[in-house]
Parts: sequence; structure tokens; C-alpha cells
Amino acid sequence: MILSWQFILMIVLSSLFLAWFLYRPVKPSLSDDDSNIAINKQRQVELELDLSQGHIESAQYQEAESEIISTLASELRSSSTKNVTIEPLKWLILIVLSTGVLSLLVYSQLAPKIIPNTDAALTEPMSMSESIEKLQDYLIENPNDFQALKMLGLAQVGTGNIDSSIESFERAFEVNPNDIDLLLQYASAIAANQDGMFYGKSKALIDKALSLDPQSIQVLYFAGIVLAHQSDLDGAIGYWQKALYLMPDSHPDRNIIEEALNTILNLQVK
Amino acid sequence: MLIEIGHFSLVLALIFSVLLMVLPSIGLYQNKSSLAQLTKPLVWLQGFWIAVAFIILMNAFLANDFSVKYVADNSNTQLPVLFKASAVWGAHEGSLLLWVFVLSIWTIAVSIFSKRIPSDLLNQILIILGAISFGFLLFLLFTSNPFERLLVPPLEGRELNPLLQDFGLAVHPPMLYMGYVGLAVPFAFVLAALIRGQLDSTWLRWTRPWALISWAFLTVGITLGSWWAYYELGWGGWWFWDPVENASFMPWLVATALIHSLSVSEKRGAFRQWTVLLAIGGFSLSLLGTFLVRSGVLTSVHAFATDPTRGLFILLFLVIVIGGSLVLFTWRSHLLQKSNHFALLSRETGLLINNILLITAMFTVLLGTLYPLILDTLNLGKISVGAPYFNAVFVPIMLPGVIALAIFPFVRWKKDSVSRLTSLLRFNWIGIALLILLARVVITDNIYVLIAIGLFIWVTFHAIILLSKRISAKSKFSLAFIGMIIAHLGIAVFVLGATVTTQLGIEKDIKMDVGESQNIAGYDFVFNGVKPHTKDNYSGFIGDISVYSGAKKIAQLNPEKRYYQSGMPMTEASIDPSLARDLYVALGEGLEGDAWSVRIYYKPLVRWIWLGGLMIALGAFFAAIDRRYFARAKS
Repeated sequence: MILSWQFILMIVLSSLFLAWFLYRPVKPSLSDDDSNIAINKQRQVELELDLSQGHIESAQYQEAESEIISTLASELRSSSTKNVTIEPLKWLILIVLSTGVLSLLVYSQLAPKIIPNTDAALTEPMSMSESIEKLQDYLIENPNDFQALKMLGLAQVGTGNIDSSIESFERAFEVNPNDIDLLLQYASAIAANQDGMFYGKSKALIDKALSLDPQSIQVLYFAGIVLAHQSDLDGAIGYWQKALYLMPDSHPDRNIIEEALNTILNLQVK
Repeated sequence: MLIEIGHFSLVLALIFSVLLMVLPSIGLYQNKSSLAQLTKPLVWLQGFWIAVAFIILMNAFLANDFSVKYVADNSNTQLPVLFKASAVWGAHEGSLLLWVFVLSIWTIAVSIFSKRIPSDLLNQILIILGAISFGFLLFLLFTSNPFERLLVPPLEGRELNPLLQDFGLAVHPPMLYMGYVGLAVPFAFVLAALIRGQLDSTWLRWTRPWALISWAFLTVGITLGSWWAYYELGWGGWWFWDPVENASFMPWLVATALIHSLSVSEKRGAFRQWTVLLAIGGFSLSLLGTFLVRSGVLTSVHAFATDPTRGLFILLFLVIVIGGSLVLFTWRSHLLQKSNHFALLSRETGLLINNILLITAMFTVLLGTLYPLILDTLNLGKISVGAPYFNAVFVPIMLPGVIALAIFPFVRWKKDSVSRLTSLLRFNWIGIALLILLARVVITDNIYVLIAIGLFIWVTFHAIILLSKRISAKSKFSLAFIGMIIAHLGIAVFVLGATVTTQLGIEKDIKMDVGESQNIAGYDFVFNGVKPHTKDNYSGFIGDISVYSGAKKIAQLNPEKRYYQSGMPMTEASIDPSLARDLYVALGEGLEGDAWSVRIYYKPLVRWIWLGGLMIALGAFFAAIDRRYFARAKS
């Protein structure tokens, strides 16, 4: 769990703000009856104005006036309740504890396990090999961190170290075999070692991704490639057309699929 | 670390929304005023931390912090500063943060500007707004975290959708969300009254100004969206009946019915059940719109996400909100039974007709929007419901509404007679008929345009008569009255603009060589060629077209064809605007030699569409600040 002095400060400042209101004397406020009386009085004035301007006939004016009176009568409650005093300190402790514990608990579930050095990222980005080293160090302490393993595999692909990336993806696959993105990256890495061809394990991974999410645009794109490599051009066209159908017109990857589709359609014509 | 502070701010906001639901509720039900009076500070704290998160995310965009996945996916160093700032809500996660931020602005506004509302009712309203905020913060944090980090930050970000790289993104979504989310306020008022079992004059009085303001924002948002689509999409359309456009239009129709129904409920004590249902319906449709945009059931320029988990969450939230509200309504319906009497011909009837027409129109739009989706979901085939259906169904329903809106301000409350009305207005009706005949002879014989001119004259004439009668009777002009007149005139202006531009507009898709001229609607468009054009975030071509009226050059138009980093081509139209007409040119494709395909449009009165929209919104703002809402009740 990431705990920093800034978070503690945020909790303390918020609690102090609430404490000020908790210790403040209770202000008298407008009651429902006061409000309803004032509003119905105003309604009566408006009704008289309507009469004077000819927006209502005098016979209906009488009726409307009695309706206002009966409405007000039905709304008045005249029930006064006695205020129960509280011990502010007890409630303040409860607020501070619940805010502190709950916020840190929720944050610990949501927060990333490691935070990149953003200052460096903004000025001089980390080199890929530095990133890999940092991830490897982190994985010694956290060998089963799925995201870190996947990220390591991606970084290794980036440096051209395909064999190592396949190992990293395999480890990530053991932790979570149902992550679509991992299945696609893992299959791509294996295919890269097979002259770009998707067969054997890489094909099996794409098939698994397709069974997990048959509506995913990325999965459909890769499923099309697998079929294209098997010379099943109609099947590939089917997947890519489906991907294009599911894509918004403005999707940035649309061109890639359209190009692939055009290439294969040209092949069919030839 | 700043990003983590932003993330933690959202977590704190979530926790304060929980405290906002729990502590004041204990205070209210156990009469512990010290706890109940924590409502406002909790609202402010929650709003403060959401604002902190929002500012931090915006800073991440401005500082090119690509270690944040959302920033890396939607921005890059080449993006101009304005687009970087508005890219914050350019995709799903950030736009949801904007949703939550806007809700917190509304909640804070209610807590500050509701000094005339009894504190118990106000606390209950703020608790409900806090509960809505809790639902959306939960959704944001657990399915759509905008502060997600990338372990290996890329050197350069991807690209904001080129369609969104425009000033329109800076103004349209915030305004639309102010309206969309603002409908949560009347909903919270109604729910608070239902929970307390006190459906009295107070909640009716104070629901209306908030409904009016949110409706005004929604009107501005939809109007800006229409204007943006007109100049950005490159084919001169201003409304597409796109399912997501419909998703914002449906709450607008219901909210329009709500503000009219509220006026009857507030002044005459009628339609109270109906008003409650409209307030629930308005916010439910706003949530339905959110579901359609974010669930992936729609493919549209507006669709943000194709993630079924997110869709399921919103669907669940929608079911809880609608289901819970309707259960509450059924439980308390006996308190809403009493309705004051009114005759068949009365102003109440006029407002009832308005409501029936608006709700019928809403259901036709709902049917046209959801029917294809339902068929597709049930594997019963794919159908497309487009403009022909909506125009054929929607327009005839709204036509009598426009006729009625001119007449009914003359009709008396509770009871009136046909003979009084006809004797009051018959000479004016003869005058209007003569003017329409004159328009037939002098202006056009196009039946649709004649109907629109007729409606324009009808509404304008009646508004002038209404004003003159008030002036001659030396009556006081309330802001609500002025607002009504402006809004109704806005409808007339919109109807005329929309009909004339649709019926009399000219469109030409032509090939033009350098030096070639085309005459359209009396204007000569001379094509001077195309040259390469590059800016930071795109490169492409810019055209040079001179427009002449007779021998006088009246405009120089420079339409563009842009190619952004993703390779996506974009058409950037060039427009010579005026209140009477727009001259609109868009560049097509380069053809052989120096020739290009060019689309030229002549759009008469097209600006009246947006002028009408802004007048409607202005009318609502006037009505919302009427003196009656500032009268102080004394304890």
C-alpha cells in the first residue's frame, strides 16, 4: 500500500474542516410550516394579480382562493421536535477514523503497485533498458504481479528480445490466462519467432482470445490474420468486416484493418 | 506523485459521499441537528476533492505526462493547448470525471443558493445528490480510472480523435453535461419530497427554478452540438437523428414538459403526480443516454467505450434509480391524489396538451432509437431507423404544439370560453391569414416553407399582441413572463430557420479546375486552386475560393483537407456566415491535374436554428431568476 504524508495531510485538513462545523452552534432554520405559509401567501398575491389582469374570472378566483387555503391547511404540521445534542468529540473521532481507514483501504485496492518516476518521464524519458531493469528488480519482490510481467514482456519486445519476452508473457499467462491483451501480445511474440506466421501455440492463443471475447476489435483483427495465414481468405474477410462494423468511424485503427481488407480483396481478385 | 494525489482525491470524494449519505441521515432521523448541519460542509468537501482531481488531470494533459495512460491515449506534444485542455473530456474516463465534477458543481450550487428552503428538505435533497455522486464515483474509480499509470511511459502520446480537435469540444460537452446532470437536481427534489412524505407547496416552488436552469443548459448544449456538427462534419447538416443525439434530445423533451407541468402544479395545485413522474423520467432518460454512450451498444461519433462491464454497471445503476424511484412513487402516491379542478377550456388544459404532445414525441424518438438496438440484441436482424422516420413522425406531433403555444397564454386559468377568445383574437387571426397569403404570393409556393412562415407569423403576432395588451393594461412585466415570450419566439425562429434551410438550401458536389467558376443562388464561386498546408498537429491541403455577388467580391473561403497523425482524413469546411444565409464550402478529393471535387452549399436562414435555440435558453434563464424565487420567508 502506498502511504504518503500528502495523503495524511489531505485527510487531516478535511477532518479539521468538518470539526469546525461539528463544534459550531446549531443555527435556527426555516421550518416547513414557515415556508409553506410564505409560499401560499405569495400564491394568493399572484392570484389577486391574475384577477386584476383578467387571467382568471372572479367566480374561478373564489374557487382558486379556497383551494390555496385548503392546500395550506393540509400542509401545516405544527409538529416541533426537540433537538438531541451530541458529543462532538466522539463523532469527530468516528469521522477521522472512518475517513482515514476507508480512504486508505479503497486506495490500496486501486493504486498501482509501483509508480514510475514521472519527473524523469517529463524531462528525460527512461530508456527501455532502464525500464526493463526496474521491472526486473520489482519482480524479484513481486514475482506474481501480472501487470508488471506483461509490461516486462512488452518492453522486451520493444528491445527486440523476443525470447525473453515470450518467457515473461508465459509467466504472466500462468498468473492470469484470461487477459485478452496478454493473449494477443503473447501470440504476436511467438509469431514473431515464426517469421510472423500464426500457427501452433500462437494460433491457439488467438482462438482462446476469440472464445473469451468474440466482439473485441483487436481479437477479430488477429483472428483474421490467423485465417489469412491458413489461406482462408473468406474467413479473414468475415472477421475484419465484423471488426469494421463494430468500430466507430473515427477509430484510429480503422485504416489498418481497411488496408488489410483491401489487400486480401485484391488477392482474391487476382 | 501529483497523479496519485489526484487519484486519492477521488477516493476521498467517494468516502465523503458515503459520509454525506450516512451522517446527515442519522442527524435527520434522530433529530441531531449538529450532524444534520454537516450536510453542506460534506458537499463542499466532496466537491473540493473532485475539483482537485479534475485540475490535476488537466495539468497532466497540459504537462504531457504520458505516464498517465489516459493522457498517453488521447494527447501528444503537438496538440495545441486548448485541445490539450479539452482533451480531458475527449474520451470515456475524463468525460466521466467531468460528469462527476459537474454534478458536484450543481450540488454545491443547491447548497449555496437554497437559503429559502427549509433545512430538513434541503439536507434530504443534498443527501440524494450525494448518493448519485457516490454511484458515479464508484463507477469512475472501479471501471474507468483516469489516473491509471503506465509502467513504461511512451515518449509520445497517441492522438485525440481528430473530429474532437476543435473549439466545439471545449464548449459543447461541458454545457451539455450541465444540462444532463442538472436534471439530477429536480429529481433529487422530488425524491426528497417522496422520502419525507411531504409533497407540499415548498418542493413544488423550489423545483421549478432548478429545472429551468438545467433545461436552459441542456438547450445550450444541444444547440452548440448542432452548430459544431454543422461546421465540423463537412456536409452542412445540423441534426442527424444520431441515437446519441436522440439520447440528449429525449431528456430535453421530458424536461420541457416538466417545466410546464411544474408551473401548473405550483400555481394551481394540479398535475402533481404527473410532475413527479416527469422529474423521475427526465433524469432516468439522462442516465439512459449515459448508458447508450458508454455501454458499447451504439457505434457513433459520440460513443466513448465498448466495454460491457461499464455498460452493465450503468444499467444496474439505471435499474436501481428508476426502480427505486417508482417504488417510492407508488408508496407515496396517496399523498398526490388531490388535484384541483379545471374546465376543458382553460390554461391548465393547454399545458396538459403541451405535455401530452411532448411526451408522445419523446416516445416516438425513444422507439426509433431503441427499436433497432433491441432487434439487433435479439438477433432478429438489423434495421436502420433514420431521418425519414423521425421527420415523418416527430414533425406532425409537434406542429399542433407550436400552434397551441401561441394561443394558450391568452386563455384564462381554470375556465374560459371560446367566444371570449375568438372575440379577443379574431381580427388578429384575419391579419395573420392575410400575411400568410402575402407570403404565398411574394416569397414562395413551397408548402413546407409556407407552413413554417405561417407558424412564425402566428407565434410572433400573438406574442406582440400579448405584450401590447399587458402594456395597455399597465401590468407589471415579470421576468417569468418575459422569459416565456422570448422562449416561445425562439421556437418560432427555430422552426422557420430549420424549415427554410432544409427546403430552400442548395447543395452542389462538383469538380472544379483552377480558374473555374460556379454560380449558386446568385453567388459566383471562383476556384483559385489548392496548396499544401501544415500545422503542428496535422498536414494537408488548403483551398482558395473567392465568392462574388455580381462584380463585388464578398468572401474568401479556405476549406481544408487535413490528415492527422493517425492518417485519418478530415474535411474542414470554410463558411461565410450571415443571419440571412451561409455560404459553405468543403474540399473533397484531388482529381486529375489541378482539379478538385468541391462541395458548395447555400444555406438560407441556417443561423436562425441556433439563434432560436439560444433564445429558448435565454427565456429559461429569465424565468429562473423571476422575483418570486427571491422573496424571503420569515421564520
